[in-house]
Amino acid sequence: MIRVTDLYSGYGKVPILNAVSFEVSEHEMVAIIGPNGAGKSTLLKTIAGLVHPSSGKVVLEDQDVTGLPSYQIVRHGIAYVPEGGRVFPNMTVMDNLRMGAYSNRQTLKEGVLDEVFTLFPRLKERAEKFARTLSGGERQMLAIARGLVSRPKLLMLDEPSLGLAPKLVDEIYEKIRLLKESGLTVLLVEQNTTYALELADRGYVLENGRIFMEGSCAELASSDHVRKAYLGL
Amino acid sequence: MNIAAFLKRNVGWFALLLVAAVLPLPLQKQQYTMVLFMLIVLYAVLATAWNIIGGMAGQLDLAAGAYLGMGAFTTGTLLLRWEVTPWVGMFIGALMAVLLSLLIGYPLFGFKIKEVWYALSSLALCEVLRVIFLMWDEVGGPTEVYLPTVNSPLYSMRFTTATPFYYILLVLLVVALVINFRIRATKLGYQLLALGEDEDAAEVLGIDARAAKLKALVIYAFLCGLVGGVYACFYGYLHPSFFDADISTEVAIFGIVGGMGIIYGPLLATILLVGVRELLRARLGGGLEGLYLVVYAVVLIVVALYQPRGIAPLVSSVLQKLRNALAPGKKEASWR
Repeated sequence: MIRVTDLYSGYGKVPILNAVSFEVSEHEMVAIIGPNGAGKSTLLKTIAGLVHPSSGKVVLEDQDVTGLPSYQIVRHGIAYVPEGGRVFPNMTVMDNLRMGAYSNRQTLKEGVLDEVFTLFPRLKERAEKFARTLSGGERQMLAIARGLVSRPKLLMLDEPSLGLAPKLVDEIYEKIRLLKESGLTVLLVEQNTTYALELADRGYVLENGRIFMEGSCAELASSDHVRKAYLGL
Repeated sequence: MNIAAFLKRNVGWFALLLVAAVLPLPLQKQQYTMVLFMLIVLYAVLATAWNIIGGMAGQLDLAAGAYLGMGAFTTGTLLLRWEVTPWVGMFIGALMAVLLSLLIGYPLFGFKIKEVWYALSSLALCEVLRVIFLMWDEVGGPTEVYLPTVNSPLYSMRFTTATPFYYILLVLLVVALVINFRIRATKLGYQLLALGEDEDAAEVLGIDARAAKLKALVIYAFLCGLVGGVYACFYGYLHPSFFDADISTEVAIFGIVGGMGIIYGPLLATILLVGVRELLRARLGGGLEGLYLVVYAVVLIVVALYQPRGIAPLVSSVLQKLRNALAPGKKEASWR
């Protein structure tokens, strides 16, 4: 589905990513774990087109999307849910969702909306409320829903558990599991290693801007390095 | 659309327009008051135009003076050199302002320069132009260039009282407000509001930030350029000080104090703040030079502290309560 090869990226003259290569197959859920400052968010931002790569390639289904502006990348079918949700606080929940359908250049279809509301019933109750009145968990749900209504081929989630109470993290991850079961291709970036490795099919460990390890989640979870550095075992 | 329904739905605006239209009639002999009203309308046009780039798109633009000056110099020079009537010249001036806005907006938005860096760049535009026109003796220079009266006062827009200028600017204000409402109702409005709320989030949802912001900037610059043409004719001379950083900041202040993105906000803030400022200047100016600015600053600080989202939400919530008291059970309106 998506193949990233030898990606170099950073801000101005500061390099962050060093020859990062990985791939995600269709219907697969891949987790990228790593410590603070490893470049996880930069990686997603580079794929989404918010940060310009200095070299390397991002190929989505045989189409080279490297370095395209972000508004074009969405149209290729990559939805990016940024860290902290980043919903539009002064728009209603419904308007936020309508903005999500923007890239399709069509209005929000009933069917899509029903699917999203079935997954997140709480958003339906709050449809006409301003997004600023939502709780942290609801905002995260809205952010994911907003990504889904564009009908993406690939959903990229940046730290969906960030700043949420443990109970809400459970709830969000339950939703992500449902999405995975529905066959959606998901690229997940997460510091919460336990959750990420439990749910994903495969994982990559990103450290200092390089891919340090890769493997199935079971392999990663049983490796000494991951156990020591990330799982605290 | 049904005209009667349209009139009924916007009855408040039409009442306001009627008041504004008959306001000068009893004031023909009071030139100071008339000039004051004209200035309020002038600033209101600029601030209402600013709402598009500042309030909706969230770009802290401080270049109103640059576009105003560009409009003024183009209109004035066309009249002076080629006897082109300002009625046409102001539109050419507005196009020059648009050209200028593209010249600065295209690279700035392309390099994703925003927030305080955008504010400083736009402020710099004003200063750079002021210095250029100070050196450029053919059109500007350090001495005032007086505008002639060609053919008739009407042809060269050289009226002796402020009243005609008041009406011209009132028309521009209506145009600026209508443009605001039109944008708000279209896709561009949603694009700009989303950009104003969270630019990165808007971009990854598929909005071409540069294109949308450029559209907003061009419309804003065009309106400022038009005002510039009238500005030059009212003062009757051209001077590089027209590229005025003070006007730029004041316009942004009116936009912010009014309430970001609320269409009638800048208008409301302009009426209140210019009114307060001039009243203070008249009352305190005779005693202690500059004291009015201190009081004015305090007013601004109080608004920033206690009504950070602007005075318009406050007014609309009061109006809403009044409406609820009169006709209970109606649905709550959106604060924009």
